[in-house]
Amino acid sequence: MNRPLVRRTLFIVATLLASAAAIVRLPLRLGLDLRGGTSLILRVKTDSVSPLQQREVVEQTRRVLERRMNAYGLAEIPIQPYGSRGNELLVQLPGVNDSSRLRNLLQSRAVLEWYSVAGGPYATRTDAMEQHGGVLPYGSQLFGARPTADGKSEWYLVSGPPVIRGTDLRNARVAPGNTEGPITLFTLSQDAAARFERFTRANIDKLSAIVLDHEILSVPVIEDAIRDSGQIRGARNMQEAEDLALNLRSGALPAAIEVIQERTVEASLGADSIRDGIRAGAAGLAAVVAFMLFYYRAAGANATLALMLNGLLLIAALTCFDAVLTLPGIAGAVLTIGMAVDSNVLIFERIREEIRAGRSPAAALANGFSKAFATLVDTHVTTVVSCAFLFFFGTPAVKGFAATLVIGLVTNLFTSVFVSRVAFDWEFSRRKSPNLNIGLTKHADA
Amino acid sequence: MELFRNTRYDFLGMKWRFILPSLVLLVAGLISLAVKGGPRYSIDFKGGAVMDVEWKGAPPIARIRTAVSARLSGVSVVAAHDSAGSNEVLISVPAEGDLASLRQNLTQTLSSVSAGYSIRSFEAIGPEIGADLRKQALTATAGASTGMLLYLAWRFRLAYGVAAVVAMAHDAVITVGLLSLLNREISLTVVAALLTLIGYSMNDTIVVFDRIRENRQMVQSESLLETINRSINQTLSRTVLTSGLTLLSALSLLLFGGQVLRGFSLALTIGIVVGTYSSIFIASPILLTWENRLATGGTK
Repeated sequence: MNRPLVRRTLFIVATLLASAAAIVRLPLRLGLDLRGGTSLILRVKTDSVSPLQQREVVEQTRRVLERRMNAYGLAEIPIQPYGSRGNELLVQLPGVNDSSRLRNLLQSRAVLEWYSVAGGPYATRTDAMEQHGGVLPYGSQLFGARPTADGKSEWYLVSGPPVIRGTDLRNARVAPGNTEGPITLFTLSQDAAARFERFTRANIDKLSAIVLDHEILSVPVIEDAIRDSGQIRGARNMQEAEDLALNLRSGALPAAIEVIQERTVEASLGADSIRDGIRAGAAGLAAVVAFMLFYYRAAGANATLALMLNGLLLIAALTCFDAVLTLPGIAGAVLTIGMAVDSNVLIFERIREEIRAGRSPAAALANGFSKAFATLVDTHVTTVVSCAFLFFFGTPAVKGFAATLVIGLVTNLFTSVFVSRVAFDWEFSRRKSPNLNIGLTKHADA
Repeated sequence: MELFRNTRYDFLGMKWRFILPSLVLLVAGLISLAVKGGPRYSIDFKGGAVMDVEWKGAPPIARIRTAVSARLSGVSVVAAHDSAGSNEVLISVPAEGDLASLRQNLTQTLSSVSAGYSIRSFEAIGPEIGADLRKQALTATAGASTGMLLYLAWRFRLAYGVAAVVAMAHDAVITVGLLSLLNREISLTVVAALLTLIGYSMNDTIVVFDRIRENRQMVQSESLLETINRSINQTLSRTVLTSGLTLLSALSLLLFGGQVLRGFSLALTIGIVVGTYSSIFIASPILLTWENRLATGGTK
């Protein structure tokens, strides 16, 4: 028995078993375009921030958003930096079909401020300005309340810095409230509670204004001294009150954000894509295998073996690298079939040439493999080079395609050169007078 | 079975029979691009929104169109599939105003038309992201070309690298031109297909060039023209077989891969056909001309 041959075979079998184990043990992660879901790209508006601070602001924003997602019940949703500008974030939400609520949740800055009211209400902003001769008193600001159902809005003049801010809040939760709608209850930190108590004690029976993101939510009258807990009215419905509480708990965003891209795929479309992809792969594979067996006869079986093993290794590698399989990834996998066949054809045609030149089967085999190998290295390297540049795209889909193709190229070099060669060697070692059936017409077959 | 056996075609002698149709395709594509003001970019590159909507019965396309156009400008409403019997409609809107309200706006409009629909997918992309992607696509293509040129110049000679890259550019331009003639959109996945076929075309060229190099080393009495012809003949069956088999994979993607991958598969199918003959009839003549110029210039 041929010792090295046995060793090589054992190596292949071990790889095979390891791959099979990996596929069984680790689930293959599917991209949002296959399992359904929404992916959002958010831009943090950092125009007013110096480039040095931008990184920090974006990172803070990212953390706040992650906290919000967690609070919403979507745990383990990573929010990743995206693109080359440094102020974009990618959010991937599996299984979310209507993203409008989440989008509002993510987009609201949730900057809460509580002011004392110095004047108002005024019907319009210009009205308010006229009352003060066109110049607002030092340190005061004008805020408009939320428009009511009939589109009217009231304006108030508020003074000084806010008494408390969102950062002073220790906790926030929702209570059903009364006929006026749900209320959001909050608790203040110790430090702020002392401040708030002094303020409320001194301003009993006066108006105060709760301002959220530069808009007045409500204008409560201070009825009594409040220490460490209070309530906010003005939410239109329960959901809004819940979201407000959630955002207050998770903290305010250090900068405003906007959604610059949204992609939503319904799960059924993703399932269609998977089905179509598998069908395309199976059809391509069947056509290729049929042709190889017909054209190269017995040698075609070796190519088929290499092809199947390549597919197995590719899937195993994807699961091991924890890669996400996307639709372009499936396309990449189908294309790998094409590449894998090319290697086999290249080698087989070379072997045929050697046989025609009158070499013995063993020599033809050895020469064919070694001569084709140089070409294979060149073709594989150039494809890897072109794939490498696909990584310039920030888009996960294109990266997935490139990654699948590169992995496929590597596994292909292993299967078409190494595995296929071992298969040939086995056939040789079993016969006394080796003969090589590679589909050449009778008289030329060695 | 053997497709080609000891062929002795004079490929370089009949190069014009292939270069001319190639030029015709090239010019036709470029004219189409010029007339249409560049390739038709999808929303990936120019921004905007696309909604894929499935209807319970045959979709009332005309009514959807009037309803959506009344609210938004520049709307296009088309059937999602070429095949009959599909109830899916693609509604595209150019990027204007607020992306966040687009979806709500569209669903409200659709509900006013009929209740029997479901949204299969929705994409909204800001114009700046599109501009970014265009830049990335150009960087990726330029980078990939330069990278391959350098590798080939190092492994072979500069002339080989240049000839291969010119053939590759030829394939890419023809494919983009044909897509423009067919009025197909260039989306992100089509660009991925373009980059893949660049790789394929390169593969084909390299297999021929590898053989030319090998033959040059073995038989030095032969003229370059004879060596190139002989090398193309020797690799002919591999070229035809591989292209045929890769074409099978691409065709199965085109036929069975589903609507989402349609553009990708079409670009790839065109590219494989063009890429195969370009390695024989474009790359090799360029290599011959370049090397002969060098020889007569006395630098060889």
